[in-house]
Amino acid sequence: MEKVKLTAKDYKTKIPIVWCPGCGDFGVLAAIHQAVADLAIPPEKLGVVSGIGCSSRIAGYINAYGFNSIHGRPLPIATGAKVANPELTMLVAGGDGDGYSIGMGHFVHAIRRNPDLTYIVMDNRIYGLTKGQVSPTTPEGDVTKTTPSGNPERPLNPLALALELGATYIAQGFSGNVKHLKELIKQGIEHKGFSLINVLSPCVTFRGKQEYDYVRQHGVYLDELGDYDPSDWNKAHEATQWRDKLPIGVIYHVHGRKTLGDEIAEVQAKARAKKVYKDVRELIDTFR
Amino acid sequence: MEEVVLAIAGSGGDGVITAGDFITKSAARKGLHAFMLKSYGPQIRGGESSARIRVSARPVYSQGDFVDVLAVFSWKDFNRFTDEIELREGAVALYDASDPTPLEAVPIPKEKNVRLIPVPFKQLASEELKVPLAKNMVLLGVLAELLNLPADALKDAVMQKFGKKRPEAAEINIKAIDLGSAWVRENLPEGIPYRLQAEGGEPKLVMTGNDALAFGAIKAGINFYAGYPITPASPILEFLARELPRFGGAVIQTEDELAAVTMAVGASWAGARAMTASSGPGISLKQEGIGLAAMAEIPLVVVNVQRAGPSTGIPSKTEQADLFQAIGGTHGDSPRVVLAPADVEDNFQVAVEAFYLAEKYQLPVYILSDQFVGERSETVDEAVLFAREREIKRKLPAPEELGEDYARYKLTEDGVSPMAIPGMKGGQHYISGLEHNEKGWPTSSGTLHQVMSEKRAKKLPLIAEESGFVRVYGDEDAKFAVLAWGSSKGAVREAVEAARAKGLKVKAIVPQLIYPVPEKALDAALEGVEKALVVELSHNGQFYRFLRAFYDGLPRETYSYARAGGNPLQVQEVLKAIEAHYGEKVEA
Repeated sequence: MEKVKLTAKDYKTKIPIVWCPGCGDFGVLAAIHQAVADLAIPPEKLGVVSGIGCSSRIAGYINAYGFNSIHGRPLPIATGAKVANPELTMLVAGGDGDGYSIGMGHFVHAIRRNPDLTYIVMDNRIYGLTKGQVSPTTPEGDVTKTTPSGNPERPLNPLALALELGATYIAQGFSGNVKHLKELIKQGIEHKGFSLINVLSPCVTFRGKQEYDYVRQHGVYLDELGDYDPSDWNKAHEATQWRDKLPIGVIYHVHGRKTLGDEIAEVQAKARAKKVYKDVRELIDTFR
Repeated sequence: MEEVVLAIAGSGGDGVITAGDFITKSAARKGLHAFMLKSYGPQIRGGESSARIRVSARPVYSQGDFVDVLAVFSWKDFNRFTDEIELREGAVALYDASDPTPLEAVPIPKEKNVRLIPVPFKQLASEELKVPLAKNMVLLGVLAELLNLPADALKDAVMQKFGKKRPEAAEINIKAIDLGSAWVRENLPEGIPYRLQAEGGEPKLVMTGNDALAFGAIKAGINFYAGYPITPASPILEFLARELPRFGGAVIQTEDELAAVTMAVGASWAGARAMTASSGPGISLKQEGIGLAAMAEIPLVVVNVQRAGPSTGIPSKTEQADLFQAIGGTHGDSPRVVLAPADVEDNFQVAVEAFYLAEKYQLPVYILSDQFVGERSETVDEAVLFAREREIKRKLPAPEELGEDYARYKLTEDGVSPMAIPGMKGGQHYISGLEHNEKGWPTSSGTLHQVMSEKRAKKLPLIAEESGFVRVYGDEDAKFAVLAWGSSKGAVREAVEAARAKGLKVKAIVPQLIYPVPEKALDAALEGVEKALVVELSHNGQFYRFLRAFYDGLPRETYSYARAGGNPLQVQEVLKAIEAHYGEKVEA
């Protein structure tokens, strides 16, 4: 097989980028470009499915088979695609509104089903494309266009939720640290099964530049802690419950859980062990 | 008699449906024609159920308006079905001898002059056989002897079901059948007037419409199915869950209807032949995914086994009132195709046609089935199933079209653009639910929106001209035509025959392709027709209104016979409507 060295440049496209200057999503895009180049995933074997929102435009900015689908549905779309075409490396991308609000049902069931997908959520804690409404991860008390007296609702904790649901690769990255994020994405792609990478990706337009400062001040790099073991569920649980600190890095990672693809192959083998048809016409005997 | 219509009613655990299945199967084995309609109360288990079976020497297209022979375990159970089981005048009703209902309280109108015969079904099963549950098989034996049903084929069917796995059950069931038959010979030696005298032909298959549809999908090469359980579409999911993995396909029961339709879209985008099915409430939820398939031009087959609506409606009963949803659901000008199976075997063919059109034209294709045509069982000729072959193929890019300049939505004469499948080198591109240019890049240009709307719409006139989608029954040169669609065909076809037997010149026209309207084929079928009657099971007359809006070729005098679903159409009511509108003018 010919081995061609691929660089991040090979994964760029010519579609004009619509994001605001300073948007955190640029960092996520750069990290993805570098991660897939490092892993030398041929562009034609790469699928990128996204939902709706600022961040979901990312599917157009990666030289791959990109599908900017509909609001909240990238996970089932990518699941169907991966089952149909298991050779593809599937990235799924979207925002906090897409994944944790309108698409929450699919988030829960994707973790349960464990398809081999890498889900990158660009969490900016606001609805950006619709220009500044409260999102499921907006902190309590924050003023937004739809919470003029402050957000009365508590934000949800996607990391804790994913952990509780049995996800086997859970990471949190920061779009302001592309080099670190790239590694998280690479590990996520290489992980067999569903990987969640929640990326703190600031919206400078509707939440201001101070979002970057907030992450820089509160972010704690887990791999710098020395004793953090991402295969320790209890430790991971603890990290997801931190109050004033933001865990950044691989929060939880274990191996060995069967993927949806494994399960489907088993179902097929079991079904064939009972009966095999050489031709579709043989099904007719079922009706005699 | 050349045919007999019988009905069995009971409550859960009585084995009414099993008994009905055995009768249908035995008829098929003898090469007779059979049509079985099941009906359930709303209870999950233990509720009342009925099986209505028409067995005939000739092909049958409907359930038969009137029941000749009724068998019930208790009159209380039958009470639920007085609305849907109408007895023929002079019919025979067998009931369990232990039923406490006084004769004057039996829920059958006196003027029907029905002969009531008490039979000790339960007693024979529990005392002679010591197996009370076998009462349904005693009943089968009684019916077989009285009606001259093929007893040997009946026993074969029992052996087929139990013989290998539970030989002791097979033995008891066969004893029970013999017991019932012997009781008749001893106690009713004079018999009843409804005795089947019919020569059978080649053995036939028995299938439900839903199973035929799922089988047809497998024939069409489906390799991905996603669905969510819903009455009355779940049997499609169940059939495919059992059979599709044997062909290397995948079936996923999803968390909801949104996931079901979008998973199918994703699988199809990645190269699979994909389908999802549901009933009205689920189809309402699927609309966003169907719109996505229309915009992104992704082949998709969506089955709607319609039930009575709106909202939750009557889950277990039929209706044809989702037509407007199928042609107009989801926002925007989104092209789609609507096909409708008219009987059980048609479900098989329509599934093949749906994949053929979806793959060829890269758009969503609806199959509008319904509870009546989906859940009933019919005998089917094996040869008919495979009579129509279709080459199912998606247009892929030629090698020279791939590379930097590959345009997923290239403007072409027929509106169909070569579709690169993920994995194809040089075919990388970006698609979305956004309006886009030829390369798939998003646009908010009104001019481009016009161009791309035209591109997508271009496919429809071509689909309308695909052949073989309009059926005509009856007098070809009739000046009076009945237009029907989907499951209404059966009653309409028989009503047309009945009208012809009375000397009227009539034909029935039943399109299998509903939308886009197969105009030329309809024009040809309506050639010389001066009056038409549109018959359907929709209170609002959706098909009538649809034809008025989308088809210019209707005769000026076109009438509507439309009523709410729940109960399927009867031949008599259609015949009455034909006679009411036929008039003298046409005759002269």
